[in-house]
Amino acid sequence: MKKSKQPRGKAAPSQAVPSRTSGIQPVIIATKNLTKIYGKKSAEFKALNGINLEIRRGESVAIIGKSGSGKSTLMHCLALLDAPTKGEIFIGSHLATKLKKRRVNRLRNKNFGFVFQQFFMNARDSVLSNVELPLKIAGIRHRERKRRAMEALRIVELEEKAKSRANDLSGGQKQRVCIARAIVNNPSVIFADEPTGNLDSVTGARVEDLLFQMNKEKGITLIIVTHDEDLAARCSRQIHIKDGKILSETASTVKGGSK
Amino acid sequence: MKLWDIIKSANSNLLRNKGRTFLTILAIFIGSFTIILTSGIRTGVNDYIDVQLNSVGGEGYIEIMPKAMTEIMSSQMSLGSSSGPQEYNPDKNSLEMTAISDSDLKKLRNIDGIESVKPSQQISAEYIVSSKNKTKFVVTPQALPSDRINLDIATGRLIDINGDRPEINILPGYAEALGFGSDEGAVGQTVRIGVVETATMKTREVEATVAGVMNKSIINMGRSWVNVALEGKILDVMYTNLPDSYRDRVYFATAEWDTSLGDEGLKRIKDDMEKLGYVGMTFEDQVGMFKTFLDAIILVFTIFGGVALLAASIGIINTLFMAVQERTREIGLSKAMGLGRGKIFLMFSVEAIALGFWGSALGIGMAYLARAIVNPIASDTFLKDLPGFNLLQFDLKWLAGLVLLVMMIAFLAGTLPARRAAKKDPIEALRYE
Ligand SMILES: Nc1ncnc2c1ncn2[C@@H]1O[C@H](COP(=O)(O)OP(=O)(O)O)[C@@H](O)[C@H]1O
Ligand SMILES: [Mg+2]
Repeated sequence: MKKSKQPRGKAAPSQAVPSRTSGIQPVIIATKNLTKIYGKKSAEFKALNGINLEIRRGESVAIIGKSGSGKSTLMHCLALLDAPTKGEIFIGSHLATKLKKRRVNRLRNKNFGFVFQQFFMNARDSVLSNVELPLKIAGIRHRERKRRAMEALRIVELEEKAKSRANDLSGGQKQRVCIARAIVNNPSVIFADEPTGNLDSVTGARVEDLLFQMNKEKGITLIIVTHDEDLAARCSRQIHIKDGKILSETASTVKGGSK
Repeated sequence: MKLWDIIKSANSNLLRNKGRTFLTILAIFIGSFTIILTSGIRTGVNDYIDVQLNSVGGEGYIEIMPKAMTEIMSSQMSLGSSSGPQEYNPDKNSLEMTAISDSDLKKLRNIDGIESVKPSQQISAEYIVSSKNKTKFVVTPQALPSDRINLDIATGRLIDINGDRPEINILPGYAEALGFGSDEGAVGQTVRIGVVETATMKTREVEATVAGVMNKSIINMGRSWVNVALEGKILDVMYTNLPDSYRDRVYFATAEWDTSLGDEGLKRIKDDMEKLGYVGMTFEDQVGMFKTFLDAIILVFTIFGGVALLAASIGIINTLFMAVQERTREIGLSKAMGLGRGKIFLMFSVEAIALGFWGSALGIGMAYLARAIVNPIASDTFLKDLPGFNLLQFDLKWLAGLVLLVMMIAFLAGTLPARRAAKKDPIEALRYE
């Protein structure tokens, strides 16, 4: 993330120069007392209740919890897709609410990648044009767009499916296309909401492998929402959520290790 | 997102639901096509009239009628419903009111800028015939009031208005029918014109020389023009055995005016005539009345086309609302990936504009097709006698303006659905099943 390379303002000076040797990387996303309330007054419902966390560059973080615990809501807030009711979100050293809309859109387009449980592809379009979508939004020209999309498809080993209709792929292939779409803009963070939720264990494992490969090889930060303990265990850190609150945090010794 | 990409994806999105898109475009097409065709006819008619005015019309020539006459005509046209009983004016009886008296003729001649005034009588004839064959043909002679009127002479020459010899300019077709073989063959030949004596109902013939043959035009209105000498001979027959006062009664007159006075001078002359109780009308005025009538009809059809376009824009709104609903998830996804509100608004607006563009472009295409089919047919049938009259004529600039207007209407219609799309919350949109 460009901003986090030159943190300004409140960011701690020690983080200004990331030190590879010590393994301490700068904080790229942080929250303070993050609260999200749905409904009004008597029907009020706290989906998030005072979440404080810090995510550093290059980490792989699992947000784990039961269904309805607020995992997706938290991820949406971290990705600036949703605005919290109370509390603060920092992107690098910037307070998210202070960022202009344009800036937020650019940030999501260039620095974030998204993978969803339900894939969310344009079913009738080709695989290639689905992967091209973020580049198209960025206003990149046709040729360059195609080149980079093919490159991303090569990484997920689906080059030969470029011309197929998105709908004609299997679930595992669809999710790999979504990963290609998520990495096509060379993001610094990938947000994945139950990425293996709709897949069987074999195809799911392949998708997981790909995500951790991106984390290792490209240093992309992973924020994975899941209720799958095994997937969570492969992440470097697990944040357990219950009723919109952080229950506990754990760290794995083996980053991105296999099961 | 680049504008070109937005335009391309708008068009491919429209193709996703071909049936719905086609129906919407069809609705826009019907409205545009109606407007283009009516305007095409209007341009065709006006172009023809303008050409005719240049070749046939006359400068510096004005027709004079008593105001009472025009009032009677207009009250007849409005079925006499406009006013209640009028009080009788004992100073002038009804004949005096609609006729031009000698003293008035003098006053008209004295108007500044008027060079000459010629009283005109209504002449009528039964038939025209030649010695080549015995077949008689109906003819409508009219005295040419001024040599300032350009008759579109095809062969021969214009009649010598004040010449001693009775002369006539015949319409095309007559030469052949009368047995002269060709237009050239008719020039200089003698024809006989049958005229009825009003008092006795007996028909007598007068002789005339064919000075030339005219081209057809709407402004001739099927009349054969005769000179003063022939007019006199026809009147002699018509008023045989009737008192002279009959023949001397004048109902309308024609005048020549000094064209160097320009439009302002003409207006002043008309005002002066008005003060004397007369209405002066130039060729352009008469054509103008016809144009006004035509414009009224055109307006009705244009309104019809406009209503069709209005209905079509409701179709656009409906189509796009459906598209927004169907593509909710796609919109949400694009927003999540950083596509701004403005761009999403633009995407749907461009879709609306594209609908307007294709609808009106189809209208133009079909209008050109209609022109290719209708014009030859019209020229061979009901416009056969009017060479050079192309029923449908299009003006490219006007057509481009129409396309822009329809695109503008489509854009306005599209703003509602486009706004809804732009306002969609990405989270809600992605949750939407
Ligand atoms: N738009 C909304 N309006 C009301 N309640 C909501 C809305 N979105 C989510 N919730 C509620 O917030 C809680 C957390 O939702 P979510 O973050 O999706 O849970 P999960 O951990 O399963 O991803 C759930 O109880 C859900 O019903
Ligand atoms: Mg969820």
